[in-house]
Amino acid sequence: MATSTILLPGEVVPTDQLPKLKKGTLTLGPGLRHIPPSTILSTTAGALHVDHKKSALWLEHSNGRYQPAGGDLVIAQVHHGGAESYSCSLTPYTPFASLGQLAFEGANKKTRPQLKAGDLVYARVSKASKWDDTEIECFNSGTGKAEGMGPLKGGMLFQVSPLFARRLMMGTDKDGTSKGGVVVLEEVGEKVKFEVAVGRNGRVWVDSGSVRETLAVGKLLVQADEQGLNVEAQRKAVKKVLKDV
Amino acid sequence: MGPDISHHPLAGADGSATISSNLYSVLAAVNGPIEVQRRDELPEEAAIEVNIRPASGVGGPRERWLESVVTAVLRSVLLVHMHPRTLIQVTLQLTTGPTLKLKNATRDISVLPSLVNAAFLALVDGGLPLQSTVTAVLLAVSGEEVISIDPAEKELAGCKSVHALAYTQHGDLLLNESAGNFNLEVWEEVADRAEKACVAAVALASEDDEMANGTAEAAPWLRRELEEKARDAVAWRDHT
Repeated sequence: MATSTILLPGEVVPTDQLPKLKKGTLTLGPGLRHIPPSTILSTTAGALHVDHKKSALWLEHSNGRYQPAGGDLVIAQVHHGGAESYSCSLTPYTPFASLGQLAFEGANKKTRPQLKAGDLVYARVSKASKWDDTEIECFNSGTGKAEGMGPLKGGMLFQVSPLFARRLMMGTDKDGTSKGGVVVLEEVGEKVKFEVAVGRNGRVWVDSGSVRETLAVGKLLVQADEQGLNVEAQRKAVKKVLKDV
Repeated sequence: MGPDISHHPLAGADGSATISSNLYSVLAAVNGPIEVQRRDELPEEAAIEVNIRPASGVGGPRERWLESVVTAVLRSVLLVHMHPRTLIQVTLQLTTGPTLKLKNATRDISVLPSLVNAAFLALVDGGLPLQSTVTAVLLAVSGEEVISIDPAEKELAGCKSVHALAYTQHGDLLLNESAGNFNLEVWEEVADRAEKACVAAVALASEDDEMANGTAEAAPWLRRELEEKARDAVAWRDHT
């Protein structure tokens, strides 16, 4: 994608860039807005990306504050508990998201996780609207299964940019290459055993046997994000750090 | 051509930028949308708070006035209805200023374009929803009624009037502050020159060739800067 279209705020998306519509609806992602009847304007500066299969288009943008959207996996920090729900923070200085006391796998009135202020949970955004408070849950409300979500015990939390968090969550292709261009976790995982959870709100939680290893993994991720390391540079950085661990 | 710009110099803020023109350097930081104090809350749109800090000392009435002017410009650029009941906080720190002693009114006007441009770049970096791309310019009219864009300090010290104007890429006027002695004809010519300079700053690259034989300020510096930044953000896609 060397020749992707770059748009500035307030520019019209060229009609020849739009996905060819056979049927169904066009999905607009972040950075774009629709003005009826058929004008699509950009609201920020970024590279235009088009997914023809899903007939979706969006602008790629690296920085900025995380905006909750339904279905996102996030790492939330409990601020205080109430009778019905916990108030959790997703990003600093924003209104708290509410996490139901019973929104955990197998929780009922008698047995439910007791969370203190400062505890971390891996959760999914169940409701996000600009008019209402955000709600999160630690289980799939359809099946009642945790699906990997729940309280995060021990470990450490690291801050990365929202775009880097998204890249980390892209997963790998069938042949094992990372879609997001991040190989830090795979490379370190060959030598060191650790657990990791990535939240779309730019938070990465890492836990391993020792503080030294946890810090090494977290710092490598932060370094790869801040310095924009490519795959080769990431491998080199990992090798250097692994020597000391 | 155009000022020196660096993107995202501050890691803690949601968006930040520095801009240094020949007169002023400004460091801008944007946080938002964040929780708003109850008394500032607006039910249908985001509140905008601008804090301006001078290079030395603490702010006074002069900074309060500049804040009110910058807030008005940002309000018409931001899509405030996309984040109701929130706050968008903009902090502008002046880092250097002119060394010559300028008239108070001239000084007030001359800093405005730098403030508006810095705030806009920080808003773009923070990914806040914007209506349009805005550019601000400073113009000075000398005693012989010669208009100069982005004047040097000496021109500013000896000029008859100064004008700060901001236009969107479609040529809509968003900021118009002037000081000094001038008549309507002069202002109209100033506005015309300013609009051309602002639109040229974000002109498409294909139009660049036509302007190659134009003046130096016709270079699309803002577009180049933003495009470069956007390319850097997606560079990882090429690595894979």
